[in-house]
Amino acid sequence: MIHLVDTMLSLVLLSVLFSFSSNRLLVLIRILAFQGVVVSVVPLFIGQDISGGTLLFTFLTMAIRGAVIPVWLHLAIKQLIIEREVETTIGYHLSMLAGLGLIVSAIFVSQKFTVPSISHSVLLLPAAISLLLAGIFLLIARRNAIVMVLGYIMMENGIYLVGTTFSIRTQHIVEFGILLDILAAVMIMAVILRSIKQEFNAVDTALLSSLKE
Amino acid sequence: MKDSILLSILFWLFCMLIAPFFSAVILKVKAFFGGKKGPPLLINYFTLIKLLKKGSVYSSSTSFIFKLGPMVSFSSAIVSLLFLPVAGTSPVFSFNGDVIFILYLMGLGRFFTIAAALDTASPFEGMGAAREAFFPIICEATLFMILILFYMLTGKLELAAYFSGAQTKALWDSAGTPLIFIIVSLFMVLLTENARVPVDDPATHLELTMIHEVMVLDHSGPDLAFIELTSHYKLLFFSGLVAQLISGIGVAELALNFIVFILALLLVYVTVGIVESIRARFRMDLVPRFILASFALAFFSAIITMELMK
Repeated sequence: MIHLVDTMLSLVLLSVLFSFSSNRLLVLIRILAFQGVVVSVVPLFIGQDISGGTLLFTFLTMAIRGAVIPVWLHLAIKQLIIEREVETTIGYHLSMLAGLGLIVSAIFVSQKFTVPSISHSVLLLPAAISLLLAGIFLLIARRNAIVMVLGYIMMENGIYLVGTTFSIRTQHIVEFGILLDILAAVMIMAVILRSIKQEFNAVDTALLSSLKE
Repeated sequence: MKDSILLSILFWLFCMLIAPFFSAVILKVKAFFGGKKGPPLLINYFTLIKLLKKGSVYSSSTSFIFKLGPMVSFSSAIVSLLFLPVAGTSPVFSFNGDVIFILYLMGLGRFFTIAAALDTASPFEGMGAAREAFFPIICEATLFMILILFYMLTGKLELAAYFSGAQTKALWDSAGTPLIFIIVSLFMVLLTENARVPVDDPATHLELTMIHEVMVLDHSGPDLAFIELTSHYKLLFFSGLVAQLISGIGVAELALNFIVFILALLLVYVTVGIVESIRARFRMDLVPRFILASFALAFFSAIITMELMK
């Protein structure tokens, strides 16, 4: 019998593959929003009790992950009139294969952990590690500054899932703190994006190496 | 036992008869999306009869390979249909490892189509042959990945072990979500192998952009009829697999099962028609990515299944 959480998490893993093969910024942002929503509702399905507090936290995280950050980035793209195509250092075909390898290794690594299991979901830890690795991969493999921001958020999604795996009670407070940090970071990045765009008329980070006084 | 063999042969004959009709369904759907009336549903039969009545014209620069091509690919398509389990019944032939046999049977057919295309020494056909040789390689990776998944689930390498009787239902029970991905990935392979729209446009008129159609430009008369029939059968074979996966309810009642199977088959064909109507053809360099995506899907569902089955 397949757990509902496992179905959702397998969709998240699939979205990682999608994000590796997609060369459109808007698609990437939508994928991120989807991941954010799933990641923030997962604790509700594996948590034992549903109280007003957990519901509130879930809704807040869902709003920030699924709405505030994606809309913000979308606006940034629109205002800066950034090219919709993503510049890469690692090609799309190779990225897709790397994504597969990444998921496989995440599954193998997650078997080595001896975690006090708090849910029946087998995909929770693999999905968390895959999201972490996928975020790092996007940071390395794409030169577009916005995709780097997206990779950073994807990493954070992974961290949140890891937290969900390990604990259910204390995680909300810690997680909410991290989430606010992330929100602040995204705002700062939006500002930096604007200055990169003003300086070079592009958001290709490879251009930063040509900066001179 | 004798009855069931008879039934299987009956279904095989039925498949051979009905395949051109289903291909016309795609044309109808495309016409509907274009706001046109479209050709009659029996159009393919008319075309085939017309072609079979004609004589053949052979270029003086071609050898016997050129004449062999359509024959071999046609017979390989017929034989592969023998292995297709229709509506949950056991197929005419079935043995351990028959899936791999079928894959290479299709490879044989493809090889002779390619050889015949190269035999004409037309640069266009050579280009089509190169593409036809390249894309199915990645498709094969996808198909083998799907096979590995099915092998993990059932421990057998037989089409009959996956698709006959209550087997399909068992597949759904043990791997529900991954099976949806498998259906999608199999559908992508179907589009590629049968030269349908996002990969190749069967209705295009520019030789430079063709894959499959360009290879049959020099064939005429009965040879062309066999090639058309081959493509109908191949499409039916792949759609049959997808339809069997969709309709795998495993009802004991044969008639009901058959009706569901036919409906699922229609669904697959209509979906192909819809995809053809709403998608433009990919640029050539995007096609490998499309097929690679199907491989990624298959591989991914294999991993997920492995994890879920623990």
